Amino acid sequence: MKKLGFILMAAVMLLALAACGGKDEESKGSSKDGAIELNLWTDWTEDRPENTLSKDIIAKFNEEHEDIQVKIEEIPHDQYETKLRTQAAGNQLPDLMRVWPGARTAPLAEGGAILPLNPIIDNWEGVIPDSILQDYAVDGNYYAIPGNVSITSLIYYNKEMLKEVGYDEFPATYAEFKELVKALDEKGITPIALGNKAIWPLQSVYISTIGDRFTGSDFLNKALNGEASFEDPQFVSALSVIDELTKMNAFNEDMNTLDEAQSRNEFIKGTSAMHFAGSWAIGPILDSVENADNIGVAPFPSFEGGNGDQAKIAGVAGGGIAVSSQLSEEEQEAAFTFLKYYYDEELYQGLIKANIIVPADVEMDDSIPQIFQDANSYVKGGLAPVYDATLTPELTDIINNGLQSITLGDKTPEQLAKEMQKEAESK
Amino acid sequence: MKLTKTSKVAIVLGILPAFILYVVFAIYPILQSFYYSVMEWNGFNEMTFIGLDNFKKLFSDPLFWNSVKNNIYVVLASVLGQVPIALFIALLLNRKIRGAKLFRTIGFLPVVLSTVVISLTWSLIYNSRNGLINEVLRTVGLDSLAQNWLGDTKWTMIAVLVVVIWQFVGLYMIIFLAALQNVPGEVLEAAKMDGASEWATTWKITVPMIWDTILVAVILCISGSLKTFDLIYVMTNGGPAHSTDVMALYMFNETFSKLQYGYGSAVSVFIFFFSLILIAVVNKVLGKKMI
Repeated sequence: MKKLGFILMAAVMLLALAACGGKDEESKGSSKDGAIELNLWTDWTEDRPENTLSKDIIAKFNEEHEDIQVKIEEIPHDQYETKLRTQAAGNQLPDLMRVWPGARTAPLAEGGAILPLNPIIDNWEGVIPDSILQDYAVDGNYYAIPGNVSITSLIYYNKEMLKEVGYDEFPATYAEFKELVKALDEKGITPIALGNKAIWPLQSVYISTIGDRFTGSDFLNKALNGEASFEDPQFVSALSVIDELTKMNAFNEDMNTLDEAQSRNEFIKGTSAMHFAGSWAIGPILDSVENADNIGVAPFPSFEGGNGDQAKIAGVAGGGIAVSSQLSEEEQEAAFTFLKYYYDEELYQGLIKANIIVPADVEMDDSIPQIFQDANSYVKGGLAPVYDATLTPELTDIINNGLQSITLGDKTPEQLAKEMQKEAESK
Repeated sequence: MKLTKTSKVAIVLGILPAFILYVVFAIYPILQSFYYSVMEWNGFNEMTFIGLDNFKKLFSDPLFWNSVKNNIYVVLASVLGQVPIALFIALLLNRKIRGAKLFRTIGFLPVVLSTVVISLTWSLIYNSRNGLINEVLRTVGLDSLAQNWLGDTKWTMIAVLVVVIWQFVGLYMIIFLAALQNVPGEVLEAAKMDGASEWATTWKITVPMIWDTILVAVILCISGSLKTFDLIYVMTNGGPAHSTDVMALYMFNETFSKLQYGYGSAVSVFIFFFSLILIAVVNKVLGKKMI
């Protein structure tokens, strides 16, 4: 009798264990009423207009399509990619997922984890230029449709502070820019608010554009293929700009302990005259700054002797959603229907209103703030590749850490260039 | 006879569920990372067998040795910092002093706080421009002592270690307090009657009587500091310029930001053996087998 009791107990416990495994299977696939259910992973956790817009469009899609239901799961941005990569390694990707272009999509595509969108790409012909669609292409296959364009390098400045040191216009050349930095520093104003604790800003925001102006846009791909070297004097000059600015006291001294958003807040509070950031900062700055007319936006200055086009700005498409390759044919069709519905006029119009630059040509009216119109106009100078969207993850890691070491005086630009070249050759 | 036989079956059956859970979620993943550690794998593509290349690469990476060095600092700071301080406070609190309960709660508070909260609070305290420490130093005219605590590679590791010690002193304090309360009163009384000084009683009687607990604390300390991750991840993310990188952080970054699952597994295999050996050595040196 006693024995039976134990066996029963053990059996119950085992069953409980088995039940944990079983549940997953049930919830996947179709829900009760026969509609196809698609899980979408996003990083739309922040309460921003563009996130609300995306969620609204999806809610509307679900209402209009009884047979397809898209379920959103939100994961904070900083953990998103780590989580996605971990899931991918376990072969458990969601049906639909937000992805970032270039080198960040490539591993998923090469591993066959996501589905090429070639069958439906014609849908956006003439709406989105192919050069921007290419950002999400790997080996000639398209894996996502860009929702926005993210410029990574813009200079936001405090007009009043610049006037204090005698500048009505933002300097157009690097030589003049250095004069401005010197003047601000002498006045006791922190010239640039930088938050490089997360180590990507100096690379993504600064070097992407500065590097391009020195080396030209082909350089990165050539260097990766072995046709050019990271020890090229032009590239070293680009890295030296960071060294020079640090030595001129251009940055706040706690740059390596602040994160990107904290440094933006410093600029908004008015404790520094400039802040270098991408188009993602337009919305937050306009939302929180006391007097929006006091804030100006400028492209990076031109660098004398640089080989690159001095009007280009580093930028890359974003906002893409990729489709898991594990879907059944029926589910694929549903996913395609969803993508066609989502990447449409309503999204792009709404994004413009939320101060987001979009890849599609959309008309703008006067209600759009001046800063945004300015930033949008700089895109016409052409887009340069963004470093972390182009380099391999290893090289990105080296340049991120290396630039930080330069600001600490632990490394010289030459040493960093050498290290990068060594890594590039090891492939 | 029959009874023992049935109870054996019962024992096996009773243990089975927990055992299966443990095998599936602890033993199996460890064996699996042994397997991954000899593979080249980015998490998506096919794996290729590369033998011990991951380990060769690991041992020749100066950044890895840098993280080992920092990790040893953490171990030393924990063992030589947390344990003595905790013991000292516990000895004080074990005496009949006013408000002992209050002090005990205050001491234990950091253990209850979320690590993220601790890290962010200390980052603010350490901030070079408007952090508490530098403000205080400047207010009393010691401007020259104000440092860029988390931004200057000379100071970052020290700054982080202070927080590591602060965070866990409370835990060991409670463990020691519990042990101290189990020291029989008559022994202490006897010592008093024999005319032993307070000092002698503490060192010759109290401490030897809780020595076992101290050993357990040391071992917990070592194994805890070898896998330290969260505090440093939030406070500095190993930076600036790898100055606060520790092994677990190195493994995390290599695996997830550089997409080298095979290499990352090799790092964790190393951490596994490193901890095992270190704890074995400590057990040998300190004499008794505790865990």
